[in-house]
Amino acid sequence: MIIAERKPMQEILGMTAGMKKVLVLGCRGCVAVCSAGGDKEVSILSSALRLGRKMSGEKIEVLEETYVRQCDPEYLEPLRESGKDYDAVISMACGVGVNFIADCCRGVRVLPGVNTTFYGANLSSGEWKEMCAGCGSCVLHLTGGLCPVARCAKSLSNGPCGGSVGGKCEINPDVPCVWQGIYDKLTYLRQEQNLREITPIRDWRPAGHGGPRRRIREDLLS
Amino acid sequence: MIAGSNLEYVLSSGEFAVTGELGPPKNGDFDVVREKARILRGHVDAVNITDCQTAIVRMSSLAAGLIAMAEGVEPVMQMTCRDRNRIGMQSDILGAAALGIKNLLCLTGDHQKFGNHPHAKGVFDMDSIQLLGMVKDMRDGKRFQCGEVIKNYEPRLFLGAAANPFADPFEYRPVRLAKKVDAGASFIQTQIIYNVDKFARFMEMVRDLGLHEKVYILAGVTPPKSLGMARYMKKFVPGLDVTDDVIKRLQDASDQREEGINICVDIINRVREIPGVAGVHVMAIEWEEAVADIVSRAGLSARPEPRGIEPCLISSGTIEEVVSKAEEQIRAELEKQVDQARTEAAASRDLVTKEKEKAAGEISELKSQLDRLKDMADREEIKQKQLAEELAKTRAALEKARGVSEAGMVCKSIVEPQGVAAEAAPVSEIVSGEALSLREQRALQSINKGLEALRKILGLTEDQLEALKSFFEAEFLLHMGEGQPAAAASAVPEPPRVQIAEPVPELEEAVEPAAEEVAAAEAEEMSVEAAIEEEAPPAGVAEEPMPAGIPPCPPELSPDEWKRKWVVRLTARGNVLLHKREVQEAESAFRQALKIDPGYEKARTGLERAGKREAVPEVPEEKPASPEAEKEVAPAVEVEELPEAPVPESEAAPPEEKKPEAKRAASLAVEAEGVEISTLELAEEAATLMERAGSIPQDMIMEPASGVIQEVVIGDGEKALTVGGSSALPFHLFEGDMPNSPRIAYEILDMEPEEWPEPLMKYYSDVASDPVAWAKKCVEEYGAEAICMSLVSTDPNGVDRPAGEAARVAQSVVDGVDVPVILWGCGNADKDTETLREVTNLTGSKKVCIGPPTDVNYRTLGATAMAFQLPVVAATPIDVNLAKQLNILLENLGMSLNQILMDPSIGAAGYGLEYTYSVMERIRLAALTQQDDKLQVPFICNLGREVWKAKECRLPSDPLMGDQERRGIMMEAVTASTLLLAGGELMVMRHPKAVSLTESLIRGMM
Ligand code: SF4
Ligand code: SF4
Repeated sequence: MIIAERKPMQEILGMTAGMKKVLVLGCRGCVAVCSAGGDKEVSILSSALRLGRKMSGEKIEVLEETYVRQCDPEYLEPLRESGKDYDAVISMACGVGVNFIADCCRGVRVLPGVNTTFYGANLSSGEWKEMCAGCGSCVLHLTGGLCPVARCAKSLSNGPCGGSVGGKCEINPDVPCVWQGIYDKLTYLRQEQNLREITPIRDWRPAGHGGPRRRIREDLLS
Repeated sequence: MIAGSNLEYVLSSGEFAVTGELGPPKNGDFDVVREKARILRGHVDAVNITDCQTAIVRMSSLAAGLIAMAEGVEPVMQMTCRDRNRIGMQSDILGAAALGIKNLLCLTGDHQKFGNHPHAKGVFDMDSIQLLGMVKDMRDGKRFQCGEVIKNYEPRLFLGAAANPFADPFEYRPVRLAKKVDAGASFIQTQIIYNVDKFARFMEMVRDLGLHEKVYILAGVTPPKSLGMARYMKKFVPGLDVTDDVIKRLQDASDQREEGINICVDIINRVREIPGVAGVHVMAIEWEEAVADIVSRAGLSARPEPRGIEPCLISSGTIEEVVSKAEEQIRAELEKQVDQARTEAAASRDLVTKEKEKAAGEISELKSQLDRLKDMADREEIKQKQLAEELAKTRAALEKARGVSEAGMVCKSIVEPQGVAAEAAPVSEIVSGEALSLREQRALQSINKGLEALRKILGLTEDQLEALKSFFEAEFLLHMGEGQPAAAASAVPEPPRVQIAEPVPELEEAVEPAAEEVAAAEAEEMSVEAAIEEEAPPAGVAEEPMPAGIPPCPPELSPDEWKRKWVVRLTARGNVLLHKREVQEAESAFRQALKIDPGYEKARTGLERAGKREAVPEVPEEKPASPEAEKEVAPAVEVEELPEAPVPESEAAPPEEKKPEAKRAASLAVEAEGVEISTLELAEEAATLMERAGSIPQDMIMEPASGVIQEVVIGDGEKALTVGGSSALPFHLFEGDMPNSPRIAYEILDMEPEEWPEPLMKYYSDVASDPVAWAKKCVEEYGAEAICMSLVSTDPNGVDRPAGEAARVAQSVVDGVDVPVILWGCGNADKDTETLREVTNLTGSKKVCIGPPTDVNYRTLGATAMAFQLPVVAATPIDVNLAKQLNILLENLGMSLNQILMDPSIGAAGYGLEYTYSVMERIRLAALTQQDDKLQVPFICNLGREVWKAKECRLPSDPLMGDQERRGIMMEAVTASTLLLAGGELMVMRHPKAVSLTESLIRGMM
């Protein structure tokens, strides 16, 4: 799941300065699950905006709406026209939604309402953790299912660095060393051989260093 | 051999290797790297150059590595994966190989979070193992990482990697090491080892995997510099296992640095015993000096002669070598030339001697001729008398005859005058009585002229001349027409010959032997210089005809030599004449010299001087007519002195000085044979600064101070000294006031000095064993205004004289002189406290100043001083803040600032004087312009002891360094004057002549 968090209020007030009419647009996808941009967060942000403006003695008209998803064109269809009525649409979807609105709805000014942070899991209520970096060439089969790309501070491929002590990462004792985890897991799985073999240098193109990525499935193309 | 690096050679030879570590600076300072490399050179086989360790931006490891290499230190270039992707890394690897780097240590690198750019994007395109593989493939597979072929010049690098036996998972560490070996590592340097047991277990696992056979393992060690550092490493450096034992050892140590080194050496000794350890990697970052010590204490100082270092930068050392070689060559060449010139000079000196002999011969011949002439004159006189008698007889006969026959008046006028035929004047009248023929008159005239010339040349008196004249005239008359006078005339030396003798114009009473010597020396010097200045004459010159005005060349000399001799002679004569103020003659002599040799410098300067003399008729022309003046031959010494500016130097003290000073000057003059340094008087400033400033507004040149230095009174009674009180920078009398001039105290020791050099010691050798007599001598003979007694005998590391005993000696000195006494402890805080307390118990509040309290014993010493209201000397090690802090501490104790003299710990000229100066200046500026009242305290500078321990004062006299005593005096005086200018108010000095010089400086400046 894509994890996001609402941008600081000040930043949002700043980017909407002088605007008279805005639409706060939520998404019922990932951002709703991670409590960053669902119906509830839309109304909270809207009230906050109104309040903020009132305090500075200005008037603003804030409308609220939440789509099922913002990353499919059919959901965005109504916005193509209605969006033009607003000074801006504040999208509370992940960065994908904001980009997609900007791409699809010409003449609509769209603003990001959240910071999209990582692909993570919900550890417990209120805590999310990065698990994958979308590197484009997954190695989890070699690492006991634990991702060294996303979860090792240096994205190491060949075992823990010299700073791994007591299962903690050198950068911060609050951060577990994923390579200690991988070692434990592989030892448990009796796949120690993986730890002995040298993992060759990575091709970083699938991770995005080869330019914007695209996925095509011929059979589904219409 | 893989790369042929020194490290590779050492390791493959089975030698126990030692590598070091060099952290490049956080700036572009070449010298920092060079200095560190120099410190490490010779103690290690190779040095790791870190690559922005702990992610802090530093000079790149490649650049620093090259600098190290230029200093003859083999670098192990470190490369991390944090900052560059594979493109950058491969590019740097190619560059490094091209520039002669042969070792590469491949690291992943610390996370950027640790460094000074935590916001940076970490690259981590690969990890250390992949990096090893990539470089190995570039080297052995001749391929870039992308697979493209490296056509030639693949980078040949000896590859290393790091291993941390103390990181987790412990069991996995040897496995990971194996991966590094597989990837291409030939040597391994481990993380810092403190936990040797754990390392031994690690090595056991390494051996189980057989890795010790495949890779050289160097155990990493670091001397903990302090307890704080050890604790920090234990707490905050992930993967570093600092044992409690190490912490405890440091805790218990009195000298933590020393113990740190010991710990390191112990660890080296232990890891050496572990099989598979091929060397040690000593990481003493920012403590490079420790490496030599560690290596030598570990018995590893005999490093194999380095091989394979091919620096592409030229180090300053190499340049120096080349330069010194060239210098040597040039020196040899010069020496040859000087030798040649010397031989030539010697030859011409011989010539001069010969000339002199010849001239002396001529002179003696002249003398004998003169004697002969005199003889002849005497004889003639007799003859004349006889003639006169005959004449008288004849006259008598005639008279008789006339009386008889009244016959004619023959010869009436001949006999008419007083009848003294010996008189010359009457002879002329005799002559005039008879008509002389024109030819005869002319002959007589020329004889007279010749005589006049002779007189001038020979310096005859009027009387002598008259005698001669009368003789010649008589002779002439008597032998008129018989050719006799010609014989007499032939006895007169011919003018040209007399002229040759001219440079040595002494005759009989006119001769002054000293003057003659100096004149000869002058002539010699000139001819030597002429010999050196002039090139060897071209072969053709010998045939050249002599220019006008030079007599023909004697056969034994070449025409050139003859000419040169003449130039020298003429110039010398010019100088002598000039000195006699015969300016015109002098000028013509110089002109003549210049005509022969227009390039002769001495003649030209002589001519210039002559010109000036004439323009300034400061002295009335002397009348050379008087015989005395004639006799006086100019002392040629002064001719020598002329080219130099007159130096106002006088051995005796100026008359207006006080009595003791005069006395001292006298005794100095007696004692210091051979050293002429005497009381100098500075020239009075012709115009004050204000006058010279003219119309420049005052506020542009003046910076009046807002603070005032405390006045501190030392001693009591009449001879009490007050120092300080100034409200301006030292000697800036135009800006403020300096009510008390700086003072000088003589330093004495409370025991016979052991290491005072002879030129200093000779002034005190008679009193050195008796401090009281010593102090008295200083006061009574040298006029000391204060005494500073160093209680050196109390030093626990030396004689360790008991405090009570030392105190009694101090007391007798204090009682023995009437000037203030400063008692200076031995520097051992505890002992000083004890001694000075004893002393004050004995002397009470009597004219004593004690010191130095330091930050260690200021409480006790300060309390003692307060009890007796004594001023103290507060000593701190050259630092503004420490000085201030000690003053504050003393003040907190209850002392008042006007009881404190600051001793900033000074250094002698050449031994940190400039640093002392700047610290003192900063203190003084803070005191005066920033109203930092805690620093408004006078300075005391104990400089004698610093100066006289410098080797420049101890080396014996030699031609290069000059006279030892003079050198020492100048060192002390120069140090003192510098400190005076920095604000020093009370100087503690040793050499009486240095004191005297310094005093005259003070007098001149106040
Ligand atoms: S290896 Fe790549 S794809 Fe797989 S979890 Fe990690 S980042 Fe995601
Ligand atoms: S400690 Fe572990 S997770 Fe952290 S950087 Fe090192 S290997 Fe990666």
